[in-house]
Amino acid sequence: MRISSIMMYNMAVARINDQQSALARTQQALSTGRRINVPSDDPIGAASALTVSGADAQNDQFTSNRSGAKSTLSEEDGILQGVTELIQNVQAAVITARNGTLSDKDRGFIAEDLRGQLDQLLGLANSKDGTGNYFFSGYQSQTAPFSATGSSAQYSGDSGSRRLQVAAGQQLAVGDSGQDVFQNIRSGNGTFTTSAVATNTGSGLVSAGSVVSPASLTRHDYQINFSVVAGVTTYSVLDSTTSTTLSSGNPYTSGNAISFDGLQFNVSGSPASGDQFKLAPSPNQSLFQTVSDLIKVLGTPATGVAGTASLHNGLTAVHSALDNALDNILTVRASVGSRLNQLDALDAVGSDLHLQYQQTLSSLQDTDYNAALSTFSQQQLSLEAAQKSFAKVMGLSLFTYL
Amino acid sequence: MSSSILSIGSSALAVAQAGLSTTSHNISNASTPGFSRQEIIQASSQAQATGAGYMGQGVQVTTVRRIYNDFLTRQLTDVQSSSSQLDSYQSNISKLNNLLADPASGLSPAMQDFFSGVNAVANNPANTASRQAMLSNAQSLVSRLQSMQNSFDAVRQGVESQMSASVDSINSYATQIAQINDAISKSELSNNGQTANDLRDQRDLLISDLNKEIKATVVRQDDGAYNVFVGNGQSLVIGNQASSLVTLRDPSDGNRLQIGFRLSGVTMRLNDSSISGGTLGGLLSFRTASMDAAQNTLGQIALGLAGSFNAQHHLGVDQNGIPGGDFFKIVQPTAIANSANGGSATLAVNISDYSALTTSDYQVAYDGSNYSITRLSDQTVQTASSLPASMDGIDFGLGSGSLAAGDTFLIRPTLNGAGSIGVAISDTRKIAAAAPISTNAPGSNLGSGKISAGSVDASYLGTPLSTPINLAYNLGSNTLSGFPLASVTVNSGGTLTTYAPGAPVAFVADASYSVNGMSFSLSGNPANGDQFSIAPNTSGTGDNRNALLLAGLQTQNVLGGGTTSFQTGYAQLTSQVGNKAREIQTSSLAQNKLLEQANAAVQGMSGVNLDEEAANLLRYQQAYQAAGKVMQIAGTLFDTLLSLGR
Repeated sequence: MRISSIMMYNMAVARINDQQSALARTQQALSTGRRINVPSDDPIGAASALTVSGADAQNDQFTSNRSGAKSTLSEEDGILQGVTELIQNVQAAVITARNGTLSDKDRGFIAEDLRGQLDQLLGLANSKDGTGNYFFSGYQSQTAPFSATGSSAQYSGDSGSRRLQVAAGQQLAVGDSGQDVFQNIRSGNGTFTTSAVATNTGSGLVSAGSVVSPASLTRHDYQINFSVVAGVTTYSVLDSTTSTTLSSGNPYTSGNAISFDGLQFNVSGSPASGDQFKLAPSPNQSLFQTVSDLIKVLGTPATGVAGTASLHNGLTAVHSALDNALDNILTVRASVGSRLNQLDALDAVGSDLHLQYQQTLSSLQDTDYNAALSTFSQQQLSLEAAQKSFAKVMGLSLFTYL
Repeated sequence: MSSSILSIGSSALAVAQAGLSTTSHNISNASTPGFSRQEIIQASSQAQATGAGYMGQGVQVTTVRRIYNDFLTRQLTDVQSSSSQLDSYQSNISKLNNLLADPASGLSPAMQDFFSGVNAVANNPANTASRQAMLSNAQSLVSRLQSMQNSFDAVRQGVESQMSASVDSINSYATQIAQINDAISKSELSNNGQTANDLRDQRDLLISDLNKEIKATVVRQDDGAYNVFVGNGQSLVIGNQASSLVTLRDPSDGNRLQIGFRLSGVTMRLNDSSISGGTLGGLLSFRTASMDAAQNTLGQIALGLAGSFNAQHHLGVDQNGIPGGDFFKIVQPTAIANSANGGSATLAVNISDYSALTTSDYQVAYDGSNYSITRLSDQTVQTASSLPASMDGIDFGLGSGSLAAGDTFLIRPTLNGAGSIGVAISDTRKIAAAAPISTNAPGSNLGSGKISAGSVDASYLGTPLSTPINLAYNLGSNTLSGFPLASVTVNSGGTLTTYAPGAPVAFVADASYSVNGMSFSLSGNPANGDQFSIAPNTSGTGDNRNALLLAGLQTQNVLGGGTTSFQTGYAQLTSQVGNKAREIQTSSLAQNKLLEQANAAVQGMSGVNLDEEAANLLRYQQAYQAAGKVMQIAGTLFDTLLSLGR
């Protein structure tokens, strides 16, 4: 084949150019550490890398959401811990107050102490988080949730609870509405309440009672009327909702169970004739109300048999309300704890995912140094060969011999 | 006798001289582009008839021939044309390729940052700093989109200025070819049909250069002239007459440059698709196939993001308790009236469904009674007897002015999409992070019934809640009353039951209830007379329900009718450009190899080999020396004759 001199030169230069640009590409891959420097280097890889790094960034976002959720939930748990201790203190006060040797004055001291506890409780319920948001005001995080009224506290928040996106497709509540924590607590035994009418004159004490057959419950109000005729105490049961007498003339024995319509309780002591006890479905009663009730009960002088009975009946009602409040707080704390556990589990999954994404990204776009270095030396060798041979070939000319 | 020897010697001397000068010409033009090596064709002179037979009379040069193969040269110009097309395509698409490449400057990180800002608001809706972060990140997303749009525009402008430059070169080549045609005809005619070798080389070089700009077909004429045709057979050069290409504005889109052909004062538009090959062909195909497609896709992502974000933002309430307004400003696309329109009408175009947007352009044509809307990407036509009409989420309506039959409008909804959005709010309080409704189960309820936080969908905006709704539960009939006068749909585990407006609604635990675009679910066992309220939310400073939904848009499949997320859309754009760039790179590499081979074939035939020329130099030098010797001997012979008389 005939070769023109200029072609020989051009082709040699073109080859050297090719070698140099290949070498430059390898060098770029080596110096940047990236296999894909422009999408055309590996279009599919580039697109996958974008998607994967997007997913990774999303995962990072969830991680930071979770750390926010964790700190808020831990703070909330701390506050609820304080509330738990406070309720236990109040419960201790109730037990102390039951002691028959205490005078009205002694009970007055306890009541005084409880006023302090009530203020403290209000303070806990109005706690703010690090960024100045109230914990327990639902969505109205800038509004103090509870304000003291004369006898209790009023809730100004709402029933919302802020949720955070803690993982793909998973939202977690990072707060609990004050309504659920402090307000919506069933009084009595949780199903119905028992109470003595204030005008009772006997020493009859009514227990909190319990449900024996949930299916038979009617949610009606009832009234137990005692009468003492010739030293024999009997009682009748009246359904005040329907105004029907369920039974009458039942013989009374102190402490024996009285049961009807699926519920059961007892009356002990000696009710006087005309004494009444009332049963009603449990309403919600706020923890503040319960503590205020206790203060009120302790502040009322217990005069005579009737006074003592009224004190004890009042303490019984407060006692079960406090039990319910503690149950409620512990339930909320359990849920906070399980949310924290869930966050920990998600964190573990998240960091695994992060590692996986990083590995995928690395395999997609990072330079394989072993391969790249070996390619580099190979290309270097070829380039040197091309350059040397070019110099040699260009030196060959017939003219040098003329 | 000796005079004959002398003349034979001198003819040989002349031929050797001609050989030497041709060789020197070759040597001196060894690196002249387009030069074909030449050689002399020598033949023995007419012999003289004598009684002893024909006596040779020496040698003469018949012609100087250029070593040239028409087939190889045509092949080279063909390959040259495709190769230049790919080169210009490649150099332009690599700009887009680089634009999308950088992980720090691409759209991806800006989009991620923006949604981080939204998440910050979702995490801490009452915090002004988080809200400010969301606004600032939105602003940087918008400026990133804007700067990408600017870069795309710069590439587009680059393409158009290259088009003008290419047209200028084509015209200059055409003029030169016409002039050389003329010179060749004249000089060959005046020189007994001897070919004008160097002029022809120059013309071939011009044809090759022309083919680098545009694919040109050459038709050889009998008189040696070349007629050159481009496009669909437009005669660029006929003999010594050259016509020209011009750049003109597209009548359907005044912002777009088009190529026209001008012959004796009349200009004819050439379709982009009719021009192939060369730099110009590469530019035009790049503009339609890659530039428009990429810019439309970017616009689709930008508009889809802004539009769907706005739609969700409208469904929230801000810190002032007011329903959310537009978060992003969106400039609606304009309909470009064809400059040939007879009527004065303008069209009003409005995108109503951002997720249905395609990357196509649209044409609206009026035939005097009906309107036809054409999706230009696949030529799907939708006919309407009146406007407004909708297609692919775009409402086409009449603006002002009157229409004439035959009027057309071009709408490019997404082309400038990335540059047409801005952040509409600057007040952090106006970010609508809260949901518009709040629900409550009052503490006075005796049952365990609970109501969920509730959510709203787009239809809520038609019937927003103005006063609270109080639902009351009736144990006897197990129904809820108090719903607004609208139909209520109850979804219990996938089973839908719809109640007529005003009818009592059966209570189903854990079912979700939808009315007037609001949805909530009720659970537990409510007691008789228990109430549940749904009220307008006017003070939810810490409510992040809408912010969560806004943040959720990041991974939601919004684009392309709900098939693609923003991130995937952008990844697709990247891979679309990357794949095309790679494809062009590979073809260009292959084509360059072909070009090299074609070039090698031509050079192998016509190129100057210096060693060969050195050998020729020696050959003709020796011939010259030999001829000199012949003349010397002729002289000696004559001397011998003269000495005879002494």
